Order: sequence, then structure tokens, then C-alpha cells
Amino acid sequence: MTHTGLLPQEWLMDYAAGSLNEAHAMVVACHLQYHKNLQDDLRAAEDLGGDLLMSNQPEKMAADSLDKVLSRLDAGEAEPIEVQRSTPSEMPTDVPAPLQKYLKNGLSDCKWRIMGPGMRQMKLWSGEKGECLWLLKAKGGTQIPVHDHKGLEMTLILKGSYHVGDEHYTPGLLEMADQDHHSHQPVIDEGEDCICLVATEAPIKIHSLVGRMLQPLIGL
Amino acid sequence: MSDVLTQDVTADKATVGAINSAAANAFSLTKHGLTSDYDGKRAKRGDIMDGNTHSSVSDMTHEQLMVKIADDRDRAAFAVVFDYFAPRVKSHLMKMGLNSQGAEDMAQDVLVIVWQKAFQFDPQKAKLSTWIFRIARNKFIDLTRKQKYPEVNADDHMHNMLAPEETDKPIEQMQDAEIVSSALEHLNEDQRKVIDLSFYKEMSHSQIAEHLSLPLGTVKSRIRLAFQVLRKKMGDTI
Repeated sequence: MTHTGLLPQEWLMDYAAGSLNEAHAMVVACHLQYHKNLQDDLRAAEDLGGDLLMSNQPEKMAADSLDKVLSRLDAGEAEPIEVQRSTPSEMPTDVPAPLQKYLKNGLSDCKWRIMGPGMRQMKLWSGEKGECLWLLKAKGGTQIPVHDHKGLEMTLILKGSYHVGDEHYTPGLLEMADQDHHSHQPVIDEGEDCICLVATEAPIKIHSLVGRMLQPLIGL
Repeated sequence: MSDVLTQDVTADKATVGAINSAAANAFSLTKHGLTSDYDGKRAKRGDIMDGNTHSSVSDMTHEQLMVKIADDRDRAAFAVVFDYFAPRVKSHLMKMGLNSQGAEDMAQDVLVIVWQKAFQFDPQKAKLSTWIFRIARNKFIDLTRKQKYPEVNADDHMHNMLAPEETDKPIEQMQDAEIVSSALEHLNEDQRKVIDLSFYKEMSHSQIAEHLSLPLGTVKSRIRLAFQVLRKKMGDTI
């Protein structure tokens, strides 16, 4: 587990290889927007992908392959895909670029649902095996209910900050907590709301009776 | 630099049929020929391409061909890139589990994207093989998992989100011919096994540990050691 708030390298390799699900890939891509060093590591890992590509024994293409592709270029696919560059003033600067897939205009697009005292959530994506990508918004000073994890919980701080014991998490930092982290209880720092991008692998287990009663309603 | 990127504009009209694929295959990525004054400005690159040396696309590096494809929408240049990369992309996709026809079709899709996105290719930010690998990876995920793989945009507006100590270092010149030689040779057998499962079987590090009946920590340390090799190779040449 990381205590540095930075993504461990094995996760970078997973991202480079394309083996992450949507929730993990999104958290990783957003986290990397904040850290140039990690981007350099990613480039190294993706270079390895390029090397693998180049090391392959070339496989003969069909005889009409190039003609087919050229005719597709003729058939209107030839136009370059313009990067959708908006002017900086239109760019939401409160979310990392990859997250614009879900929040085109940034955090102002959020539709929050009540999750518990001082807490709101917005579900972004869910997978077939219970994996889930969601946003958490918690008021300054909130204690997140004590919970255990069945799978891994990845939390990227977008705004505000919290601490877990001695560890302090600020925007751009990533917390990774798995089943070894029993009784995980983040406390949001006083002051502004804390907004996090969270990927969970399996429903989290909340300790308190009220929490367990609320869980089915929250759907996380 | 003008001697490196010189060309005759009339060569744009070279017919596809004139491209000798054997000559294309003789191309090697290790061929060095990049200019260092690539600055992402098309006009400026146009300026340096006004030399009067006559050369055909078959004498150009792949990176130079990409510039021609981006700037001049040059099909002869594209045909050379196609002849070199399409068979390798197809082979890569077959190793990822596609059958021959599926890989053929997807390799064609990938090369169409290479044409469409050519102007986004920046040789100072990525090696061409890496850039094409990414397109192939994302296309594979798009088609097999119906998922748009979230992309890291290293050069976009999010720079203002970088921690202060990490802001704009000068762009590192990494497109050096020497490092185009494969990092794979520097990995040991155990590391290579992990890398293959990762890139070809789409296994995460925890799935690899399970698959090889290894402790998770062992797989993590193999990957981290592989990173040391990779970073050293990059560091040596930057």
C-alpha cells in the first residue's frame, strides 16, 4: 500500500498494458494529471508496449489491405479528427481532464445524492462484478463512517483534504486501502468541502447499524 | 536542420504504386533523422522543408513521413508507414487473442486512425512505435470491452494542476536513435514473463500473481525492477 499518496508502479504498468477496468483506469488517468514524474514513468511503460509491438514477427496483411484503407480515407474518413480544443476560459479547471468524460463542465455538472450526515455521492460508472466509480463530497469536519473493505478502495482527492490517522491527503494524492485496512475511518479536514473520486471493487462494509441500514439505499 | 527534412514538394504526388514495400520494410526506426527544432508549429516546420534536395518518401524516416502525412495529407508517405506498421500491429493484436481476420480488420482501423490523428503525433513527446501502440491498445479495449480507455493528456491545460515542484521541465529529447533499441533485451526472463502476461493477456498485477501462483509482493517487485531498467534506459539518453 502506498503511504506517499502516489500510485505504485505496478499500477502504472497495468494502466500502460490496458488491463485496468474503467473505474481504476479513470482514477489512474486523473491522478497522473497532477504528477509529471508519474507521467514520465508511464511513458517508459508505454514505450515497452511500443517495443513489444516492434518485436513482433510481422504478420502479412491481406493483399487488398492498403487499398481498402486508402479507399476509407477517400470515403470521408480522411478528414483529420480535430481535437476539441475549447478556449481556456471554457475549460473546467476544477476536474482533471479525463473526468470530463462524465463531467463535461466540471464539478458544476454534479448531481449529488445524500449518502449520510455531511456526505453526498454521485455514481459515475458501475461494472458487472460490483466495481464502482463514484464521487464523494463531504463537509469539512465530517467523520466518514468506520468501514472495512472487501476489495480495494482507491480515493483520489480533487478538492479539500482529509486525514487517516497520521496520513494527510490533499488534492492530487491517492489513497489506496484494501482488506488489510480494517476500520478505515478518514476524517475530513475542517474548512472547505472535500471532493474525491473513488473506485471501489466490492461494496464497502459499514460498521454502524445505521450505516448498514443505509447502505442498500446508497448503493455503494 | 534543413538538410534533414528536405524534400521536393512535387514528390507529394508520387503514386502509391510507386512505393516499394521492400524498401519500406528496409526502413528502421533506429534511423536517425529528427530535427530538434520541431516545436509543434506547423508553419515553422513548413519553412524548414523548403530545401531543394530531391528525395522521395522512401528516403525519409518514419517520423518525417508522419510530418508529411500531417501537413500534406501525403498518401505515398502514408503507404510507407502502413507497410511497415500494419503487419506489426496485426501481429500484436493476434498475440492479444484476436484471430487473423479480426486482427487484420483492427489493424486497418488503427492505421486509419494514424492517418486521422497524424497531426497530434509529436516526436518529442513519444516514439512513433509507442504512439501507435497506444492507438492499438485503445482500439482493442474500445472494441472488445466497449470501453473508451481514459487517456492521460500530458500536454493539456491541466498543467495548472501540477504540484509546484513538478511544473514544466523543458521537454526532454528522448527520440534519440540509440534508445529506440528495445528495452526488452534488458529484462530478465521472470520480468519478461510478467510483462507478456500484462500486455498480451490484459492481466493486472494481482491477476498475474494468481496465475503464476506467486506472492503478490514478488510480482510487484519484478515490475518495479523492470521500471528501474526502463527509467535507466531513458535516463541514460536524456
